[in-house]
Amino acid sequence: MKRPLLPGGFTAPDAANVAARWLLGGLFIYMGWRKAIHPELFLKMLREYQMVQSTLALNCIAIGVPWFEVFCGLLLLAGIAVRGTALWLAGMLAVFTVVVYHRALGVQAAQAIPFCKVKFDCGCGGGPEFICAKLSQNIGMFLLAAWLLAGRGRAACAFYTRPSRAPRHPL
Amino acid sequence: MIDNSPPVKRSCGGQPGKILRQAAWVGVIGVAFAFLANQLSPRGLNPAMNYFPGDAKPSTVPAPAVPPPTSGGSNVPPPAPSSADALAARLKKNGLQLLDRAGVEELFHDPRRQENLIMFIDARNEDHYQEGHIPGAFEFYPYHPEKYLETVLTPCQLAGQIIVYCTGGDCEDSESAALFLRDAGGVPGAKLLIYGGGMTEWEAAGLPVESGPRNSGNLRNPVP
Repeated sequence: MKRPLLPGGFTAPDAANVAARWLLGGLFIYMGWRKAIHPELFLKMLREYQMVQSTLALNCIAIGVPWFEVFCGLLLLAGIAVRGTALWLAGMLAVFTVVVYHRALGVQAAQAIPFCKVKFDCGCGGGPEFICAKLSQNIGMFLLAAWLLAGRGRAACAFYTRPSRAPRHPL
Repeated sequence: MIDNSPPVKRSCGGQPGKILRQAAWVGVIGVAFAFLANQLSPRGLNPAMNYFPGDAKPSTVPAPAVPPPTSGGSNVPPPAPSSADALAARLKKNGLQLLDRAGVEELFHDPRRQENLIMFIDARNEDHYQEGHIPGAFEFYPYHPEKYLETVLTPCQLAGQIIVYCTGGDCEDSESAALFLRDAGGVPGAKLLIYGGGMTEWEAAGLPVESGPRNSGNLRNPVP
């Protein structure tokens, strides 16, 4: 049975996949932009994680990550190199989630409060947030990135379709 | 001849090897994009600059510079009572002196301030500065020193005492600004005093606050 086509020739799952791609792209543009307009604040927050000792490396991360997120978001919106971009996003989200989780454990231990009551600005671009909400958001975005990596959301890509190069058979 | 064959899906991805190659390209171009954007941004950072010359390791538990509001903000605890001692020790190690509110108030009311022999420097960002600063304070955000150095350096040379402050609490920007002025600007370290309580304490004490640019005359809590 053929799936019903929406305007533009998309099926409903296609449209949902594209919406997921645009949602993830939009979120990364928003969060990257929030960091990119105040890179010094992001730098200070990165420093609080005490994971990088080198000044040069710390500065490069503070410079690179926000704009790289914006770049990846733009690629997703446009539908360019979607799976390669999704691989980056999934990797970054995995690292960020682990790092934020460990920091939250430190805050929880220091304050002796329930884990989900921990609230701080992780430097992710969204301001102070409750850790459980933040982790859920990250996991959701990671699943979206994994979904795109698996080949979904390919409809409406900038370079998605082109006429077939298969041998043509004259009528 | 009309080609009726269906479009071929391609280019958004493919086999693992292709995805990795694509990711490599995204990485290379993305990093180039990021550094170019940073270079073009007026708020861009200098990769080679040490923005934390005090070299103080921050606390593992994040503590906000401003006390958290009753709702909506971060719930990290306020700085411990001993934080002033720790700050004083750290400043001493870096050749700077800590000043408490009484000392700052005394210098603020000192007639020498009118003769520019006592100078205040606000090390917070432009938005915070415009929102409210100690009347007559110069702006010097240490993350963009090149923007402010020319304006600040001459008065620094003339002044006998320079009080540098930021938000207060765990804020280290006043320290960074003072160290930058000393190390890169040639301002003698003995002149530089850090007001640890910062703008938060100043405002909480109901002391005069000027909004807008320096010497704008827009005062809150004016001196009686």
